[in-house]
Amino acid sequence: MHIRSPKDFWAGLIFVVLGAAFVALALQYRLGDLHRIGPGMFPTLVGALLVGLGLIVAGRALVLEGAPIERVQARPLLVSLAAIVLFALALQRLGLVAAIAVLVVVGAYAARDVRLLQVLALAIFLILFAVAVFVWLLGLPLPLWPW
Amino acid sequence: METLGNLVFGLGVALTWQNILYCLIGCILGTVVGVLPGIGPVATVAMLLPFTFQLGPAPALIMLAGIYYGAQYGGSTTAILINIPGETSSVVTTLDGHQMARRGRAGPALGIAAIGSFAAGCIATLVIAYFAPLLAEVALKFSPAEYFSLMVFGLIAAVVLARGSLIKAIAMVCLGILLGLVGTDVNSGAVRFAFGQPELGDGIGFVAIAMAFFGIADVVINLERSGQQEIFTSRIGSVLPTWDDLRQSFWSILRGTGLGSVLGILPGGGALLASFAAYMVEKKVAKPPRSFGEGDIRGVAAPESANNAGAQTSFIPMLTLGIPSNPTMALMIGALTIQGIAPGPQVMTERPELFWGLIASMWVGNLMLLVLNLPMVGLWIRLLAVPYRLLFPAIFVFCCIGAYTVDGKIFDVYAVAVLSALAYLLLKLDCEPAPLILGFILGPLMEENLRRTLMIAFGDVTVFVTRPISAAFLIASVALLVVIALPTLRAKREEAMQE
Repeated sequence: MHIRSPKDFWAGLIFVVLGAAFVALALQYRLGDLHRIGPGMFPTLVGALLVGLGLIVAGRALVLEGAPIERVQARPLLVSLAAIVLFALALQRLGLVAAIAVLVVVGAYAARDVRLLQVLALAIFLILFAVAVFVWLLGLPLPLWPW
Repeated sequence: METLGNLVFGLGVALTWQNILYCLIGCILGTVVGVLPGIGPVATVAMLLPFTFQLGPAPALIMLAGIYYGAQYGGSTTAILINIPGETSSVVTTLDGHQMARRGRAGPALGIAAIGSFAAGCIATLVIAYFAPLLAEVALKFSPAEYFSLMVFGLIAAVVLARGSLIKAIAMVCLGILLGLVGTDVNSGAVRFAFGQPELGDGIGFVAIAMAFFGIADVVINLERSGQQEIFTSRIGSVLPTWDDLRQSFWSILRGTGLGSVLGILPGGGALLASFAAYMVEKKVAKPPRSFGEGDIRGVAAPESANNAGAQTSFIPMLTLGIPSNPTMALMIGALTIQGIAPGPQVMTERPELFWGLIASMWVGNLMLLVLNLPMVGLWIRLLAVPYRLLFPAIFVFCCIGAYTVDGKIFDVYAVAVLSALAYLLLKLDCEPAPLILGFILGPLMEENLRRTLMIAFGDVTVFVTRPISAAFLIASVALLVVIALPTLRAKREEAMQE
């Protein structure tokens, strides 16, 4: 077996796995009958369709040539996700000001080209903007400080 | 005459100082994100949506709509001046627009793009005002069976017109539907796919999905590709086209507008498809001498008119049927839902101030954009000096705060992180995000209509093909799939997407 179109192959595999997971979960709910369809019916049908389509996509990838997957770089993805998670943690415990600071300063490192002074200036600007517009102008209920 | 009366009524709504202000904010933001290549209208609408809840439905929709059609104006500016399309719908404008700029005619190119967009915007507003009520009237007679089949047709048509592999696009629709079903089933009360998490009982927020796919994951992919962009600004000079330019472009603008208006209404249509089609048509039917690809002003006038017309008429199916034809419209439906308004044909009769106010605001907005874009074009160009490394952290901030404020749940911020990882994976594997968003919005509606249909028909599934309108939608869906699967047409479609 030789994978000729890696993008399609892995995409198909993801579809099969996710579709199967949804079907497996959906079957725990009542299926009902055609007159009164239960909560399990529609997701089972759509999930099964997703599995079928995934199999076709993956199967074709063994026959038809396709482009290789562009190199995955760990840094942009992992740093971005880490920054978002840190924002969520900080917002609850330390308030909006600290959360934005963490998000901007950590998030900026998702790029290779980081200039710390600029990033700090950007963080201050975005904090002022967010506080002025979201909290004062729009009155959104966001905690500003830890206390 | 009734149309006129409705428009006047709408103008009364659009011209309150509050709505003028939000229309202006939307148009300015739209122009800005249109100019900036790293961020598009879908991401912007998604990021700003959470902040519009306090505004009330009319100002919120007026502002969000302004972002969408404003981006069509802004996108053309960078396409002409620096050969970088600010938006995908301006890709074809680079062909002749940038050539004009190289020949020292950047000013007239910008001028005709703005004038064409304005003319198209005005005409498209009338098209919406006239056709939307007709469509709504038909749609009011639809039973659940017709609705279900219409949604199937809408989704199929949307993926046929989308880029990339058809099967993958349909798979993305299915995945979107399944994600849309997470949470409490309104009918049985069963909590589905929630893994015992009470937060998931309310379902996955569509704002979180949109931000993950069009905001965060998009930034990550951009960062991976980051190469230095060379900024080359040519002298703009006078933006006023000559009399000759106007005469030459007159029919191109009308043709572009006509084509754009029609293509905008189709599911999957909108600005992008309209601009491509208009350019290809223009190349064939424009009066000789033609110099397309070498700075023919008609090659700017037609697609720029078309993308603006298409952007606006794509509101028709959204407003009258409650069916989104592209991701931005899906977000608009989400905005309506969060405001407590069920999208569908009844919006026009139950909330006329919202419906006609929005339509009239488009005309107001186009006027603003003309003023914003022609004299101030130099200002927008300076935005390009903002490097991406300063732009993307700002996107993070808006996405995170936005996700949190939708429901005030920290859980939604974590959801953005998890969904971003999934979105990154799928984008990396060339799976288009647009079909997923459409499926996500339509999934619960499809299930509800399917359930109701079968309930009324006592479990008889043939009802979908025995009701004539429903059958027509399903036949059209199958026909589309068959046609697109034929090898000759497939080659043509790929050729068209390449171009």
